[in-house]
Amino acid sequence: MRSVSAEEFRHWREEFDAAAKRPLRTRFRYAFIHTYKPVLDDAGYRSFDTMEDYRAWCERELPSWLGYGR
Amino acid sequence: MAAKFEYAQAEEIRDVFARHGVRYLFLGKSGAILLGFPDTTQDADLYVEKSPANGAALVVALDELGFVLDDVRRAEIRRGKDFVQLKDGPFDLDLVFAPDGIERFGDAWDRRVQIEGFPVCHPSDIIASKAAANRTKDRESLPRLRAFVDWWLEKHRR
Repeated sequence: MRSVSAEEFRHWREEFDAAAKRPLRTRFRYAFIHTYKPVLDDAGYRSFDTMEDYRAWCERELPSWLGYGR
Repeated sequence: MAAKFEYAQAEEIRDVFARHGVRYLFLGKSGAILLGFPDTTQDADLYVEKSPANGAALVVALDELGFVLDDVRRAEIRRGKDFVQLKDGPFDLDLVFAPDGIERFGDAWDRRVQIEGFPVCHPSDIIASKAAANRTKDRESLPRLRAFVDWWLEKHRR
């Protein structure tokens, strides 16, 4: 895992303080986004018996740049 | 792929699930966002208790929310397959019955945090789940999420 600089850490905490001042409804508006994810968004329904099955499917089927692989 | 998830839809989940007695918790980044984490995500992840009664109540609640479920989907959700992804309803929803890193629903339920009536996994459970999943995207987001959890725990220390 990458290391975090003291400056970056301080900046994050400022962001957390600022976010805490906004109402939840406002935070929601900026937090949930809508972008197309290839393969993942190409079926309306999927189900997996185990999480391991799901993880294996992600590794096998999804483009690596989506970040779902291990 | 559904439209972007809105606050009003989260309220619908909260109210409809409560009406039908569905036991669930917001998990993952959507849970962290409810706790105040300033970040982005696309869908809501719900950790749902795996039991016949809860599965049956969940199906009824999803019907009411506008998800179109055929007999196969109903049976799978009722049974509580570990992971069910709904992407052709009014909004995208991931139903997780056995998340990585959390042993028992009851334990997570006891640790839950209520935010404006939304039941949310405790931040330490959200971290545990992401750390156990250990995907590339989890590893990238974990340092900032851990910093948030430390910040959150400081603010909510009794």
